Amino acid sequence: MRDRYVERTNIAAQSRESFSRRHFLRGAGVCLALPALESLLPDKALAAVTGAGAKTGGLATTASGAPLRTAYVYFPNGAIQSNWWPTGTGLDYKLNSTLQPLESVREYVRVLGGLDHACAVGGVDGGGDHARANSVFLSGVRAKKSATDIHLGISIDQMMARQVGHLTRLPSLELTCDDTRKASACDSDYACAYQYNISWSSPTTPVTAEANPRLAFERLFGTGAPGERVANSRRRQLAQKSVLDFVLDDAQSMQQRLAANDKQKLDQYLTGVREIESRIQRSSQMGAAHDPNVETPEGIPSDQAEYVGIMFDLMVLAFQTDSTRIASFCLAHDGDNRSFSHIGIPEGHHDLSHHQGDPDRIAKVAKIDVWYVAQFAKFLTKLRDIKDVDGKSLLHNSMIVYGSGDADGNRHSHDNLPIVLAGGGGGTLSQSSYVNYKSTPACNLFLSLSDRMGIKNLERFGDSTGRIKI
Amino acid sequence: MQIFKCVKTSTSIATAMTAGLLSTLVVAAIPPKSASLPKSVNGGEAEFRKEIQPLLKKYCYACHAGGVKSGSVAFDEIKSDPSLLENRKLFQRVLKNLRSGIMPPVGADQPSEAEKRTIEEWIKAHVYQIDPVNPDPGRVTVRRLNRVEYANTIHDLIGIDYDTRTEFPADDAGHGFDNIGDVLTLSPMLMEKYLDAAQSIVSKAVPTASKVIAETEILGASFQREGAQIASNKAANVPTGNAANFLALSYYEPATVSHALQIEHPGSYQLILDLSANERYVDNQVDYNRCRLVVKTDGQELLRKEFNREGGKRLHYEFDQKWQTGAHSLSFELQPLTPGVEQIRSLTLRINKVTVRGPLITKAADRASVKEGSAKTADYRVEPRNYRRFFPEPVPSAPAQRHIYAHKLIGDFARRAFRRPVDEKSVARLVALAEGVSAQPGQTFEGGIAQAMVAVLASPRFLFREEGIATAKNNQQSRRKINQKSGLSKNENHNHHNNQPYPLIDEYALASRLSYLLWSSMPDEELFRLAGQGQLRKNLTVQVQRMLSDRRSEALVQNFSGQWLQTRDIEKVPIDARAVLSREAAPIAFTPGSGDRNRRGPRIRFDDALRKDLRHEADSYFGYVVHEDRSVLELIDSNYTFLNARLAQYYGLNNSGVTGDEFRKVILPPDSPRGGMLTMASVLAVTSNPTRTSPVKRGLFILDNIMGAPAPPPPPDIPPLESAAVGLKNRKPTLREVLSAHRNKPECLSCHKRLDPPGLALENFNAMGLWREREFDQPIEPGGKLVTGESFTDIRGLKHILVTRHSTEFYRCLTEKLLTYALGRGLEDYDVEAVDQIVKRLEQDKGQFSSLLTGVIESVPFQKCRIVSVAEKTNSLKSTAPKSHLPDTKTRKRAAPLHKVNVAAKT
Repeated sequence: MRDRYVERTNIAAQSRESFSRRHFLRGAGVCLALPALESLLPDKALAAVTGAGAKTGGLATTASGAPLRTAYVYFPNGAIQSNWWPTGTGLDYKLNSTLQPLESVREYVRVLGGLDHACAVGGVDGGGDHARANSVFLSGVRAKKSATDIHLGISIDQMMARQVGHLTRLPSLELTCDDTRKASACDSDYACAYQYNISWSSPTTPVTAEANPRLAFERLFGTGAPGERVANSRRRQLAQKSVLDFVLDDAQSMQQRLAANDKQKLDQYLTGVREIESRIQRSSQMGAAHDPNVETPEGIPSDQAEYVGIMFDLMVLAFQTDSTRIASFCLAHDGDNRSFSHIGIPEGHHDLSHHQGDPDRIAKVAKIDVWYVAQFAKFLTKLRDIKDVDGKSLLHNSMIVYGSGDADGNRHSHDNLPIVLAGGGGGTLSQSSYVNYKSTPACNLFLSLSDRMGIKNLERFGDSTGRIKI
Repeated sequence: MQIFKCVKTSTSIATAMTAGLLSTLVVAAIPPKSASLPKSVNGGEAEFRKEIQPLLKKYCYACHAGGVKSGSVAFDEIKSDPSLLENRKLFQRVLKNLRSGIMPPVGADQPSEAEKRTIEEWIKAHVYQIDPVNPDPGRVTVRRLNRVEYANTIHDLIGIDYDTRTEFPADDAGHGFDNIGDVLTLSPMLMEKYLDAAQSIVSKAVPTASKVIAETEILGASFQREGAQIASNKAANVPTGNAANFLALSYYEPATVSHALQIEHPGSYQLILDLSANERYVDNQVDYNRCRLVVKTDGQELLRKEFNREGGKRLHYEFDQKWQTGAHSLSFELQPLTPGVEQIRSLTLRINKVTVRGPLITKAADRASVKEGSAKTADYRVEPRNYRRFFPEPVPSAPAQRHIYAHKLIGDFARRAFRRPVDEKSVARLVALAEGVSAQPGQTFEGGIAQAMVAVLASPRFLFREEGIATAKNNQQSRRKINQKSGLSKNENHNHHNNQPYPLIDEYALASRLSYLLWSSMPDEELFRLAGQGQLRKNLTVQVQRMLSDRRSEALVQNFSGQWLQTRDIEKVPIDARAVLSREAAPIAFTPGSGDRNRRGPRIRFDDALRKDLRHEADSYFGYVVHEDRSVLELIDSNYTFLNARLAQYYGLNNSGVTGDEFRKVILPPDSPRGGMLTMASVLAVTSNPTRTSPVKRGLFILDNIMGAPAPPPPPDIPPLESAAVGLKNRKPTLREVLSAHRNKPECLSCHKRLDPPGLALENFNAMGLWREREFDQPIEPGGKLVTGESFTDIRGLKHILVTRHSTEFYRCLTEKLLTYALGRGLEDYDVEAVDQIVKRLEQDKGQFSSLLTGVIESVPFQKCRIVSVAEKTNSLKSTAPKSHLPDTKTRKRAAPLHKVNVAAKT
């Protein structure tokens, strides 16, 4: 069990501890020790699967035939505005203090200003900005204000997964570093589901994210020690197969007996069963998941940096092995109040974010903002240093959104959201720049990304009004 | 067996109706063919003009009419009669504020009790349209087992512990509880985990062969230290408390431990070592000590290995041994390698257990002979553990008999797992599944049964709690009983067959409702038996008593009170002890640095052990009220609490004479501010920020969970509070000063004058729940005045006011919480009637816990459900179709985001 309150090892101490197995992926780039991707995905096979060959690349595929990935990373409670936004605009801009850690990967970074989430604004719904910030971020629709009658909309990552998910073993990967739930009611009469889930596969089904590194790893590559996983996965699928018919039938006949609201629950069950069926089918087409030959991480580390780092590493590994092309990662839900003792800030993040103009508190929040960006920068660096199947870097063949549904945590504003777009989009994204889109729906960005993913027929998403140039 | 599910009908439709509709339509939306149309729907308006309006004029119009519109409420703006009755939101507020004494405000003329009742009854009868003779029991969305219930159910069904807290994601909560059907969603990932769990649970628990290689487990604790008399674990500075099965060897001290084992049969054996390398966490400091471990059997070396600190790593080694009959020795020798290196983290190697498997069957010829059952080779295999639990009889050899046996085993298991009788067709399918698996090469009869059990555990009938309704006969029989208990009208006769909209749930459903309420687990055999005989309702009181005295009822304490009072959160809530204590000049309680190796000197740790103790205190306290059937008012105010030595010291009750780890009831000193849940460190900490108290959170906690009058959420744009610091150049403003600056803003005042006084009353307790007199060298001023007018000087006074002047509100609040938890749904307007009945009982019985619990169990919503015809199912499907939740158009400049829009892409 993880204990969030314990003071954590400082960075210096950590580097001396690198022999620890817990740092399995953090050390000298264990990811790099993976077998070359070429052996896993020959270009030809890839082209055949995706119909690549067109100049722009096919579905979730770059022009050079490599997989194209999209990831969304959420950070909580907004950012101190004055430290976030760059000076200068266009290509000729200067990163501000909060985004400084991105300097080393700057060529892959675009700072996007002026993107809004109007549906996160209170309006008639009143309070509950954290629940809204969190749920609206990837869905772009207004959450129904209710403690139990959940209704939102599908999120952009899941929309993409619907379209490109069949290309990989897992349609998508959802991660979080929120491993606990509070026992009380959540933000201002909103169902807790809104506050803890950024990914939604339907208006009523939040996609629960994995918070345990071991379980996330096993989901990707199977259980057991390196070398045993392929066999274990095969055994598991055989066992699954033997019961699927029965439970499917059982669910269908149960559904006949039930009333409307209950039917919805059974729908979720049936969707889950079908998902497993298609996974089994896909793996018989694609072969079992590639065993990355590293040790399975243990449970949840007590060190916050280690925890976040391992989750990011799992995303790297998932992309590197082409286990999925879509990922979302909630670093912490909006309104998160964990303490940052490990960087000398014992106060709770949310508590501090209502800084009321106090310079001391503002400085502390800014320091937390930087800390989150620094973890993100490490992730980007790893992606940049790993070669993809086409000889370009993983980062070149990815599109990664880093942002928050809150702009100014003190005021709970939801316009001019702090959003960074990293990666090369397989060469389709423009050069590093800072552009202010002047009050444009953030959903327009999502559409621009889904175009690049080769998704057709997605005319609108959430409150979109069009596309943005990126 | 008939299973109908209750469908949402009238209320959702009625609420959804807009003001333009005629009142006759509202009437039409009431469950059709109901013999129980509210008798006076049409008279509602007339009664309003005659009885209610004069009262509103007298007591409310001064602020809520004639152009004055306090809180956006103006009673004289209600023009037409229909819109009057449809204004549910308004009258919900009227009822709530009237009952909690918030309105009319203190100082204004107060209506008499009779006048209050007139208004209450009118709202219940005409706005909520409650028929007191046959009230709507509401409907519960089919409930998925949450992860606590899943683990408990598996334990009771199969007898093993499956760690759902690690393996399953956290369940989302609604209305403060994690067992609410509507929000217990099931994502594809969870579905996958359910399948995996079913597989791994069954393979762990259910033997797939009738004979297996014998295994002996030697627990670490049974190893003997050579030459040392000291109790084994103490030497390695391992925290005591729970009796450890393992043996810990310190990295810092040489030690040799050994165990003698007796081998009965000569042959090949497998020796499996289960070790781990542990440490105690110390921030910012690393321990560089190393040690060497040498493992020997009969003096011969098996393993020689060096260890650094390994961060809790589990170590697993296997060796093959040839052993003759007789005694053999096994020893572990630990050699420190780094004398002089600072010993910071109490590094230990733990011997968890050693498993000896054998004699193994190594040769193919032996295998064959064992298989044939021939006497060529002795068969030393044994019956696997738990075999009889799952296979009570020997497996018949004739296929027809086997089939019957399989049918019986699976039918029985499925019935218990589904918690109700299972149809023949399902059992036949499962048997076919089992036989299909058994027929595969290398498979056994047992293996087939096991796989059918996997299918049962993965079935929606296991994962969801399906409820049926009682047949006509049962309904008639049990009706009288229920009516007598619940005090409902005895002469009603319109509910005696299952064509009625509000039938009783069947006895299996009742058994599950009871067992998940009291045990968070499945019904036991006795409940099943009674349900099968249709005798459960008749024996409700006896059964509830029996269930409460069962150990499993601890679940009610942990899951209900743990969530209601949020004490569950104490184990994880972020608290920075150093920062908290730095706000006070001198905390009064101080833990001497026993075992505290931190170089910063002794300080109070808010560590795991303490958190567990605090949780334990809260659970013991609530459990005491439950099991001793005390008044629930003691949850607020009493002269006792539950402590062990550590906690007594933590609270500064050093003279209490409490020793040891055991918790016991302790009578507090007369002037003690403790006693009751509000002043437990657990509650005080979970309502704090990591470094400081939060009077707002605490005030909210009291309004939400004690007084049942939650304050509305804060406005979206909270104005900054810089002004609080003005004029205080030389010091920080106290929280009270900050808050009072806040209250000076009109948009904050109406709520904060309710929130702040109870919140500030707790300011004498810091964020760790420790008593303090000063903060930042300013004296704490805990006194205040509730919005209902009562003044107090500190928390003792407030607690007294709560139990003497606000007991009814507390009864109602607690009833609402327990009913929500018991039903697994949020309460609706029509539930007011059931709640009022229970509150009445509580008042009569002076708050005895049993009258609350029986009240809930015998209530209409717990006993009955709402069903509808097929036609209405279609209707309600429409009503639950996506509604658009458009934001305020004023705040928007772009097209409205409809839910439909973003699913435009083809799927």
